Amino acid sequence: MSDDVIEIKNLVKYYDGRCVLDGIDLKIPQGCIYGLLGRNGIGKTTIIRILLGFESPTRGETFVFGTESPRLSARQRGRIGYVAEAHNLIQNYKVSRLVKLCKELSLDWNDEFFNHLMETFRLPAERKVRQLSIGMRAQLNIALAMAIEPQLLILDDPTLGLDTVARRHFLEMAIDLIGRDGRTILFSSHILSDVERIAERVGILVAGKVVVDCRLEELKKRIKKLRLIFPEEAPSNLHLTEVITQQNEGREMVITVANLNEQKQAVIDTSKPSSCTEIPMTLEDIFIECTKPVLSPIVSY
Amino acid sequence: MFALIKREIEDSVVYFLGAVVLSAILISVLISIGYHHTPAGSPAVAIGVLLPVIIMGMLGPCAMGAAQMYTDKTRKISSFLSTLVVTRAQILIARIITGILSILTVLVPLIVTAVILLRIFAPPVPGYGVMVFEISITIFLMGFACYCIGLQTGWNSNKIIPTMGGLVLTCTLVPLVLVKGFGLHIIVILSLLIIASLTRTWQKFMSTSL
Repeated sequence: MSDDVIEIKNLVKYYDGRCVLDGIDLKIPQGCIYGLLGRNGIGKTTIIRILLGFESPTRGETFVFGTESPRLSARQRGRIGYVAEAHNLIQNYKVSRLVKLCKELSLDWNDEFFNHLMETFRLPAERKVRQLSIGMRAQLNIALAMAIEPQLLILDDPTLGLDTVARRHFLEMAIDLIGRDGRTILFSSHILSDVERIAERVGILVAGKVVVDCRLEELKKRIKKLRLIFPEEAPSNLHLTEVITQQNEGREMVITVANLNEQKQAVIDTSKPSSCTEIPMTLEDIFIECTKPVLSPIVSY
Repeated sequence: MFALIKREIEDSVVYFLGAVVLSAILISVLISIGYHHTPAGSPAVAIGVLLPVIIMGMLGPCAMGAAQMYTDKTRKISSFLSTLVVTRAQILIARIITGILSILTVLVPLIVTAVILLRIFAPPVPGYGVMVFEISITIFLMGFACYCIGLQTGWNSNKIIPTMGGLVLTCTLVPLVLVKGFGLHIIVILSLLIIASLTRTWQKFMSTSL
């Protein structure tokens, strides 16, 4: 029996003849906090929706808890907490009625934790959901998803609309949740500092493909940005493999390389640069470099 | 499942209240007919009782089914419910049960009243029992068929052809009952229509993106 909570096999999705996902393969083991990154409209939400069985793939299969997504049983669904990007709550319900409904339709309900969240977020129980601000709706959605004690928490841009304090609080909650036995979190976010703070593993989607899928430290270790200064005009090509980006300006060349090793360093040395310095990269820098057009997977581990 | 049915009833409470009011009105009319010995086939009864019964009996369930599905689609209710301990199949089954309950809210008190009145006022003819049974089943199936058409129409509400098709089909049901009368034939026809409509709704609801 596989230890992976989520498994995606050769996932392909077309929308109106446009290929959004082009053969995605992904595995997320139990207890992992996985950050799914990609530019707007790249297919992150589509992957999540297919995983939850809300949409059918054009080709390929997705598995959650070892069960094919469309065949997930009610009990298996009850072990998944989901925060949607648009916070799809029932708009015409009062908060108290929605909470009651969720309570009735859940396997486990942590009343103490939920009440604590309601107090922290100061959510009004007697107001209708549609009367809440986007931030409050996000908080309510997060509180509902957390209260069911999920084994798998899927968060689609969960901090969208939250202020700095609420965002910080949310991240602390997520870390707290993962601290409990065997919880898995899959989340997509545009706020890369959030991802950097809590994700163990990251996947970067570019042009319908996963170009990066590895541990965060591993990614930082394996993607290097170098500034090379040459005695004369910088060469147009260093004949290196896995070059993500290259920028030449006179004698200077700034190059981002994946999987820099001794062999690649030797190839660089053969072009005799007068200096070679490493530029420190944050996840945001890596993300920006990786989302520039590339042809093949950069880092898979 | 019980929580889902309860939610559907709460959301469609207007239709249930309408069903109770309609049932009360019809019971009063039936009692009045019984006491005044008005012949059931007289024009006054036909215009005053049968016509509103047919219209309300058809439009009510049809509107309820359409409203349930349309609200679900526009407010993404199934999408939210599917994140709880619920499957799409359970959502639809709960909805169908609610529809049946609303029809029974009108029919059951009416049938009970009719049977009691027949016992009191009508001569003890053995055929009455079968007649009441056939009429009740036919009216129930007619209401349910309209509800199923409503479900289908509500889910396809943004498309003109299915909506018009649903309306035409609903309008066809009255002449169909008038032509065929109450009995086994109409029961079979309505049952087939219900099966076809439910199968299509099921297939669409289960396969559409939420």
